[in-house]
Amino acid sequence: MSTVTLDPTSVVATRPASARIWKWFGRYGALLVLGVLVVGTSLLEPTTFATYDNFINILNQSALSAIIAMGLTFALVTGEFDLSIGNVASLSGVVCLSTMVNQDIGIVAALVLAVAIGALVGLVNGLVVTLLNVNALVATLGIGTVAVGVNYAVAGGTPIGLPDPGGFIQLTLGRFLGIPYPVFMMFGLAAILWFILNRTVLGQSMQAVGGNPVAAQLSGIRVDRVRVFAFVICGICAALTGILLASRTGSAAVSGGDSYLLAAFAAAFFGSAVLRDGEFHVLGTLVGVITVSVGFNAIALIGLETYWQYLFQGLLLILGVGVGSLARRRAAAA
Amino acid sequence: MTDATALDDPTVASSPSPTCLEMIGVSKQFGGHQALEDVSITLSPGRVLALCGANGAGKSTLVRILAGAESADTGTIRVHGSEVSIHAPQDATRLGLSFIHQELNLVPKFTALQNMAMGADRTGRGGVLDLRSLRRKALQVQERIGYQVPLDVKVEDLAVSERWMVSLGRSLMRDATIVAMDEPTASFTREEAERLYSIIDELTADGVGIIYISHRLEEVLQVADDVTVLRNGRLVGSFAAADLDIASLTHHIVGREVAQVAHRAGEVDPASGPALLEVRGLTREPRVRDASLTLHRGEILGVAGLVGSGRTELARLLIGADPVGAGTMTLDGAPYRPRSPFEAIKAGVALVPEERRSQGLILRNTVSTNLGMASLREPGNKLGTYSPRRAVRIAREAVARFGIKANSVHETVGELSGGNQQKIVVGKYVLAGPQLLILDEPTVGVDVGARGEIYDIIRDLAAAGTSILMISSDFEELAICDRVVVMREGSIVATVPAARATKDHLTSLCFGTTEQEPS
Repeated sequence: MSTVTLDPTSVVATRPASARIWKWFGRYGALLVLGVLVVGTSLLEPTTFATYDNFINILNQSALSAIIAMGLTFALVTGEFDLSIGNVASLSGVVCLSTMVNQDIGIVAALVLAVAIGALVGLVNGLVVTLLNVNALVATLGIGTVAVGVNYAVAGGTPIGLPDPGGFIQLTLGRFLGIPYPVFMMFGLAAILWFILNRTVLGQSMQAVGGNPVAAQLSGIRVDRVRVFAFVICGICAALTGILLASRTGSAAVSGGDSYLLAAFAAAFFGSAVLRDGEFHVLGTLVGVITVSVGFNAIALIGLETYWQYLFQGLLLILGVGVGSLARRRAAAA
Repeated sequence: MTDATALDDPTVASSPSPTCLEMIGVSKQFGGHQALEDVSITLSPGRVLALCGANGAGKSTLVRILAGAESADTGTIRVHGSEVSIHAPQDATRLGLSFIHQELNLVPKFTALQNMAMGADRTGRGGVLDLRSLRRKALQVQERIGYQVPLDVKVEDLAVSERWMVSLGRSLMRDATIVAMDEPTASFTREEAERLYSIIDELTADGVGIIYISHRLEEVLQVADDVTVLRNGRLVGSFAAADLDIASLTHHIVGREVAQVAHRAGEVDPASGPALLEVRGLTREPRVRDASLTLHRGEILGVAGLVGSGRTELARLLIGADPVGAGTMTLDGAPYRPRSPFEAIKAGVALVPEERRSQGLILRNTVSTNLGMASLREPGNKLGTYSPRRAVRIAREAVARFGIKANSVHETVGELSGGNQQKIVVGKYVLAGPQLLILDEPTVGVDVGARGEIYDIIRDLAAAGTSILMISSDFEELAICDRVVVMREGSIVATVPAARATKDHLTSLCFGTTEQEPS
């Protein structure tokens, strides 16, 4: 048969070098930022920054943000948003501590209960979005606010402290082989979540739903179910971060976890520019969180004032996502 | 103006009366496809010009050029005698041209008045809306068309025909002198259509020129003063409506050429085999009404019909993408009522959708991910794990089997040609192992070579026992079918054996101008 289509190989061969450079930049630009940060700070502060202890410290500082941000990645992968994660983190910490203090239940039971509440909030988010067909921004904003209300009802608005911290604090303070537990949890969870997203039918379906929900539905993917699962994973991760935060501070405040919301979004969006062309993925989010932590650590060690942290985080987000998007456009146009 | 203009000399059409719109020698090419070739139309004030032609004859392209949505390769446009260039929709509006498309482009949450005011609301001083004068103007428009549009009701709460009137009202608010109407009565009742005809009379009495596009030929002959017929992008001729009857108009639309009927060389007639799918009285208002058909094992059944006849909507009902209003379906003898495409695919029924880019593919993903999308859940895979290596192996086999031309299975599908993209969409559903594969316009925007390969895939599937339901506007390609059913206004109106499924015959049936054959 005769074909009138262009031989695709010739198209690729004629693609100019500039396109390839832009493409490379789009994929590895964000990693380049991390590399420059590490090398630059190492040169400036060789004795304090470039040490094994500081390296472990940075990872430990990253862990809580990383867990909540990797969970958020699942909502973003399916094309949804979740604005309730900060509130869920606060709520789970408060529930965990208050049940231990007031109901006198064991650590394990309290942990399970806190995680279950995260899953429940995620489930409700998912059902409101899919069954009631409410926009995810609105739905999760509403459910998040309800979570704040429940939080006040449980805690009465005052921070809860543990009279006998003991075992619960060991959750974040404890070390194995000299490495704090949260670092293991971060990497362990990253491995599990990576597997779910990339090596299961559910994960593939999530990516398909995020890529083109109409095509996914017509391909026999149960789009609504997949979305609900994404919200549940998101809620569970937010709850885990809330528990670890309560453990690290030894107390749980009503709005303790709220600040993680924006940090998680920033990390996930920055991460979408890592290695992939603007797709959200677990590894990218992890790199995003660690990049922010490295920057904060550098700012502290160099002795800059705190406001530099915000300038850095904001600019990093805009640069990472903006340059990635610009690079893709250039690569496509060239 | 009773002189019919001959094909070879379209300029003769200029009559002594002043024209409000002339398009002269318009040509337009899309890729290698000549959508319009040297087409000319003339519209006089106070007259109704009907544009007729089968699907793909070039009517829509002509209107899109006039609306500024496409630009012509060659040709001139004159409005009220002076030559104009229309580069954007705003240009058309400024020239007094107005278009009422089938999708009405109204804001559902706005009231009728707000919708009518859009674009005409520059009357306000300092950006403040002058609501009183807008309402006054809207009332004048109502008076002019002699029809009360409820001005303060949200458009989403109006009936389809009322929405259409709002759209017309908006045109008149902008003082349009030329109004193009695309299939206005497609979802109108008899009475609503009659009301439209009288409004058209009012408008033409006012000197407005109307371009009327409709597949309903009786209606065309009733409403229009002049009729311009297009076929395959060429002008067949312009005629006075008074000189035409349905038979002669059909003849002009269909043409004389004899279609190449190269249907499947019949070994065993699949229509005599066991039935796989039986559809009885399937209804979902307003597009599907009491549709019935039977599809046998290994049979290729074509569905012919004009755009808007309810073919796509029927296909969506068959895969559970839309809820069924009434009617029954049986698949392989058992009741079949899928509530989602997931259930349909589980039952072995898949649809290759009409829009491959928006409905079939994830453009930024790779060939292998797209091919695997409909068969993620393998029956043996209890754990629900996904192996990229296995996906790549299956994709490589599929690429070879379907003749997909890509550098590798890791290439992004957005970068492939239309034909290869289509083969991926078809391949995706074939990999799901359906016993019934529905294809909606499988070769639109596909080059000749890939088209042939897609036909080969379809034939091979049917030979292996898969039943095929093929929806197409390209009646020549329905030659690969064993039987063809014709759909008109939501129902199956005729069944035609392959030997008689010529283009002319099917076109006549689609327009409802030949005697119907009982199925």
